[in-house]
Amino acid sequence: MSDDNVFSQNLLDRCISCGYCLPVCPTYQITKDESSSPRGRINIMRAVQKGELSLFESLEESSYCLGCRACEVVCPAGVEYGHMLEEWRDAAWQGKNRPKIVKLLLFVASNKFLVRMLGFFNLRNFKKRNNSEVDLMMGCFERGLFPAVSKSTLDVFKEVSLEPNQGCCGALHAHNGELEKGKELARELGRRLPGTILTTSGGCAAHLSDVLGKDRVKEVSQFFYQKELLDTLKPIFKNDKKIRIGLQDSCHLRNGLGVFKEPREILKRIGEYQEVPFASECCGAAGSYSLVRPKDSKKVVEKKKIEIAKLNLDYLVTVNPGCQRQMKTNIKKGPKVISIVELMQMSLNIKDPQ
Amino acid sequence: MVNELIALLGAEKVKVDAVSLETYSKDATPEFQGQPDAVVLAESTDDVVKVIKFANEKNVPVIARGAGSNLCAATVPTSGGIVLALSKMNKILEVSKSEMLAVVQPAVNTLELDLAAAQIDLMYPPDPGSRNVSTIGGNISTCAGGLRGLKYGVTRNYVLGLEIVLGTGEVIKTGGRLVKDVAGYDLTRLFVGSEGTLGVITEATVSLRPRPQFSKYGVSYFDSLENAALAVEEIVASGILPATLEFLDNVCINSVEDYANLGLNRTAGALLLFGDDGDEHTAELNTAQMARICQETQGNISVTRAKDIAEADALLEARRCSLPSLARLKSLSILEDISVSRPMLPLAVKKIEEIAKKYKIVIGTFGHAGDGNLHPTIVVDKNQPEEVAAAHSALAEIFNLAIELGGTITGEHGVGAAKLPYLEARLGKTQMEVLRRVKKTFDPNGILNPGKLGS
Repeated sequence: MSDDNVFSQNLLDRCISCGYCLPVCPTYQITKDESSSPRGRINIMRAVQKGELSLFESLEESSYCLGCRACEVVCPAGVEYGHMLEEWRDAAWQGKNRPKIVKLLLFVASNKFLVRMLGFFNLRNFKKRNNSEVDLMMGCFERGLFPAVSKSTLDVFKEVSLEPNQGCCGALHAHNGELEKGKELARELGRRLPGTILTTSGGCAAHLSDVLGKDRVKEVSQFFYQKELLDTLKPIFKNDKKIRIGLQDSCHLRNGLGVFKEPREILKRIGEYQEVPFASECCGAAGSYSLVRPKDSKKVVEKKKIEIAKLNLDYLVTVNPGCQRQMKTNIKKGPKVISIVELMQMSLNIKDPQ
Repeated sequence: MVNELIALLGAEKVKVDAVSLETYSKDATPEFQGQPDAVVLAESTDDVVKVIKFANEKNVPVIARGAGSNLCAATVPTSGGIVLALSKMNKILEVSKSEMLAVVQPAVNTLELDLAAAQIDLMYPPDPGSRNVSTIGGNISTCAGGLRGLKYGVTRNYVLGLEIVLGTGEVIKTGGRLVKDVAGYDLTRLFVGSEGTLGVITEATVSLRPRPQFSKYGVSYFDSLENAALAVEEIVASGILPATLEFLDNVCINSVEDYANLGLNRTAGALLLFGDDGDEHTAELNTAQMARICQETQGNISVTRAKDIAEADALLEARRCSLPSLARLKSLSILEDISVSRPMLPLAVKKIEEIAKKYKIVIGTFGHAGDGNLHPTIVVDKNQPEEVAAAHSALAEIFNLAIELGGTITGEHGVGAAKLPYLEARLGKTQMEVLRRVKKTFDPNGILNPGKLGS
């Protein structure tokens, strides 16, 4: 591989062009156009690598892709599409080709002071309490948008420490054209939180696992499940009936880390679990996507809104702050959108009748 | 030309940007590529008619495309022209329980059709390996087969009627909903496997079957593929027509095991997967009898019957992941598709092993033992020109071998651009000429998929 290659050639070579990825790709489902399918995009990458297409020509598809990695799960050849997309954006999203909103997000997330400020008003009361081997990682935008998530986590896992001085994990950077910076931030966080890193965000979990190794990182539902705590959960009732709960998977949690059974098992203990059709498909939040391409993001979530409306749910549960924001914004009527750990906290705090 | 095309169809449906021309220059076939001049995403029969009439006026090729999952470069625009993508014509128009048939647009996904049939206890039997991505139009155009061809036949056995836009832009409807209909030449059958060279399928009526309620599977190891093939002979001779009779050679067993860790017997010469479906009693009875025959065949190492669905799925997984596990060995994998009569199977397999040795390349062979369809898969490093050249020489020998044994160069993948050079060896000069005359009848100006069948 020569130094000026955009892509790692071994990643490009993996794809056998069978097309098995087409039916599961959310953008292909919408356009039915080969160019917006994973196979099509890999062919675009290959043409860029060979100099037959310019990075500029490839820009639109590099940004239209949600980066949900649903294609990886069905790929018989083991193509690491997520990594290829990171390399693609790392090369293409430079200078004026980087969306303005992405620049702003990265600026904030790169600055530890600003990241701390995001959570300042909500989490200033929390102190590092012990020397547990498990540290809670606070999502940088999550602490501002959904401060209850971190609070609930600390209540559910009483032994977990919270180091207040922590920056961004770098997932945002890695997915938006700052691959090296994204990896460096993950390593830095790894040094700052030296034991197991517990996260409430599927997206952060996948990126951190990628850089630090799967053993170092746990997402909350996965952590709870692995600690064999399922039996401590109690059902929640509303008007004498168990609450009806649906789930929206986190793409990177499901497709990147293979975690999808765990949240379901938890929710089955808490209420009447309803599998939402297409729960495994991207909700259109996709990191910065809903901000960069709001119209396309809305098209992706449309199908879900219809299905969710049919289920008469009390709660729609998410396992990633981006999905939580997306579903909250798009579901105005019907179920309350809530993170899984908040619901776990509610369930665990139910008092047994004396 | 582009402006006129846009004026005709609207800018939404016409793509001429560099990215589109790149992504539609290939299908699932390795080593084949051809840049089109334009891509049209058709939404109706009317769009298809317009494109074909336009192409006749301008004398440019039209290459119809479904999911682009074929393995014979049938949808690669090797002479440029307009790629006519039908992917948006993907509606299931009707599924009838009482008539046991479905009416579909061409880009309906094969698996989706079967799932729709399953809702009313019916099934669409053809199950090509690519059924989760392939389209019915593409299946018909290549006469796709699958894993249960011996018992259920292939795509051609399920096509009742077609709506076709001919190379002239005229629209005809062949066949229909009838079980019996001999009014006229059987054009429906002619279009099956015609690879987009005679007309473009815009609607299909396909027949469905009652859905079997039970499936039973088992697995048996043999010291050689030859002896596994003997067992296959015995099984069919005993009067059973099983739904599944698949085998893997030693190369496949080992690459599958490296990849999926299923606990396969790495030292065995062959793995035979057998199974049947139907009512519980028959499926059970037939699977038991197949197990017994395997046991009694020379060179048998072991026989295991799957106790439950999970075990059966694990067995099927071994077969399903043959290609991907082989593909991971090296950067270029060429999946071939010869077919021979069942008695010739052992010899064919032995000769393929000799070819691999001769050219010092890896060839893993798996296939549908029940119907004689073999998938010798050559894996080489695409950056090593000598290896690639050896692969092509080996391919030519494999095709010759198939013909020598009275078999064919392709069982279910199609001819396309990839196997056209070998077609005359199979059909002979006169038949090749007949193919050309047939093509001329339906596509007098030769605009449909040139450089493929009938060229």
